[in-house]
Amino acid sequence: MLARHYIGESWKHGLLIIGALIVLIPFYMMVSMSLKSQQEIQSISGGLVGAQEIQTFPVCTKHGYTEEVCTMRPYKYNFWFAFKKAPIPRYLMNGLIVTVSIFLIQVLIALPCSYALAKLRFKGREFVFSMVLFCLLIPVHAIALPLYVMLAKAGLVDTYAALIIPWTISVFGIFLMRQFFMTVPDELIDAARMDGMGEYSIVWKVMLPVAIPALLAFAIFSVVAHWNDYFWPRIVITGNRDLFTPPLGIREFRGGIDSDEFGPMMASIVTVTIPLIVAFIVAQKRFVEGITMTGMK
Amino acid sequence: MHHSKAHIWFVWPAIILMIVILILPIFLAGGISFTNYNLGNSSFEWVGMENYEKMFSRKTYIKMIISTATYVLIVVPVSVVLGLVAAIMLNSLRFGADIYKTIFFLPVMATLLAMAIAWEFTLHPTLGIINSFLANGCGGIREFILGFHWLPWVSSEDSWYSVACANNMDFPYWLKDKKTAIWTICFIGVWQAFGFNMVLYLAGLTSIPRELYHAAEMDGAQSTWEQFKLVTWPMLGPTTLFVVTITTIRSFQVFDTIEILTKGGPAKTTYVMMYAIFEKAIQQNITSIGAAITVVFIIFIILLTFFQRYVIEKRVHY
Repeated sequence: MLARHYIGESWKHGLLIIGALIVLIPFYMMVSMSLKSQQEIQSISGGLVGAQEIQTFPVCTKHGYTEEVCTMRPYKYNFWFAFKKAPIPRYLMNGLIVTVSIFLIQVLIALPCSYALAKLRFKGREFVFSMVLFCLLIPVHAIALPLYVMLAKAGLVDTYAALIIPWTISVFGIFLMRQFFMTVPDELIDAARMDGMGEYSIVWKVMLPVAIPALLAFAIFSVVAHWNDYFWPRIVITGNRDLFTPPLGIREFRGGIDSDEFGPMMASIVTVTIPLIVAFIVAQKRFVEGITMTGMK
Repeated sequence: MHHSKAHIWFVWPAIILMIVILILPIFLAGGISFTNYNLGNSSFEWVGMENYEKMFSRKTYIKMIISTATYVLIVVPVSVVLGLVAAIMLNSLRFGADIYKTIFFLPVMATLLAMAIAWEFTLHPTLGIINSFLANGCGGIREFILGFHWLPWVSSEDSWYSVACANNMDFPYWLKDKKTAIWTICFIGVWQAFGFNMVLYLAGLTSIPRELYHAAEMDGAQSTWEQFKLVTWPMLGPTTLFVVTITTIRSFQVFDTIEILTKGGPAKTTYVMMYAIFEKAIQQNITSIGAAITVVFIIFIILLTFFQRYVIEKRVHY
């Protein structure tokens, strides 16, 4: 019986390992290319890390650096040259500015609204809530074109505002927070009112701390979505490199590959992709919880 | 419940933003779709249904609808079934489940655009490790397994693998060939989406009470398959419905992989709706046609969601 159990278990592991290997192929390719030299990439040799022989890189000398500067190991060269060619820290900074601003504004708008929908009685409350439910149906990407027309008319193309404005309202956040606040006992709020707190302080001093678990889940959902978003920045940022978010930066590196080397390009892609992946692996449980919680409604 | 005027300041910012950012654009798209307006033009004329007539008669847009439908109809069922199978397998493991979960979830978190470029190189006919893996396997076990030689009706002459080996390593060009491009894009779509579905199914599985399985066993459902049919599948009904809806809506919006890998080609076989909107309205500045595609797109999504709500009310009751 036990033996049978182990056999059953091992064929499952067999299948899952094959699945895992297939899932990991592009990650392997990405990391491997960012470490190896151009010759090794083109001849598909050297395994994951390559031979790492110290060599002089011709593309580097062509860019006007001395031979001495251009002589090093491939992995070091790939990352060093990637940072020389593109303002990667700037792209990462932009990603941070945009995702953090979007999240903060979303909370600023959604939290009071969801508190009112859950705990205050006022005329038209049902109507506002059904409006929220209707807006849940509209994916912002689907209405990107009319939004773009509006922003273009307002002269906001190629600004941080264009990157942020369409995402300031998260009906999903309102919905999520409202469901969460429904479970908060009325006594907590009544007690706060007895203590003489106004509605504003109740929202920010009582409800906000209570809502931390839901907010954390929402934060992960929101930051992941907007850090990775490519479609919207692609539309509203047309040429100003200073406003490039990480995915736009990635695209730019790729634009130049035909004539150039693959190693530094992949190194820049790895650099841009890594913050989120590291955050995910470190706080894995929270991420999965956050995505499931926000996913399940 | 409390009476104060505070709610006005709590609710109105959200209402105004909902109207301006989410509802107004729908009407704007509707309006523009009946004109010949282009961004930058100072005037426009009403042209009635002309844009829609173009959309449903020109070959390009027929191809757009075919490739979008193909993508959605492949990616949704495959990624949902794979997500379910992976979740059930992980749920029954004694050890190692967490590692697989992390790995399968990686594509969900990773920047899709970066991964699209990684796939581009992986699938590259001369630089990629896929085709070099296949070429190195000619005459060996890989040819036997992946060439389906183990199936009785496949002879070594007409197995795709052996034919490619015999013809000077003529393996598929994946993204560059119009016969394989859309399937390769679908594969990447499944690769990216199934981990998300798996995580939702794992959450669904933990909420099924163990007693139900004991009860099913009492009723004579001995095999794993019978228990699955009797308990697991019906109990996962609401999860499945949600997973299917969200995967469908996301698949309709596929863009990143298309723009990086195929640009709608070859021969418009991967010309999906979001890419069409982008190409027509943003790159070629034909705003009106883009608006018409947007309207059709929104109608699809709203119909789909209403269908989901209808199914919820009708069927998923226990």
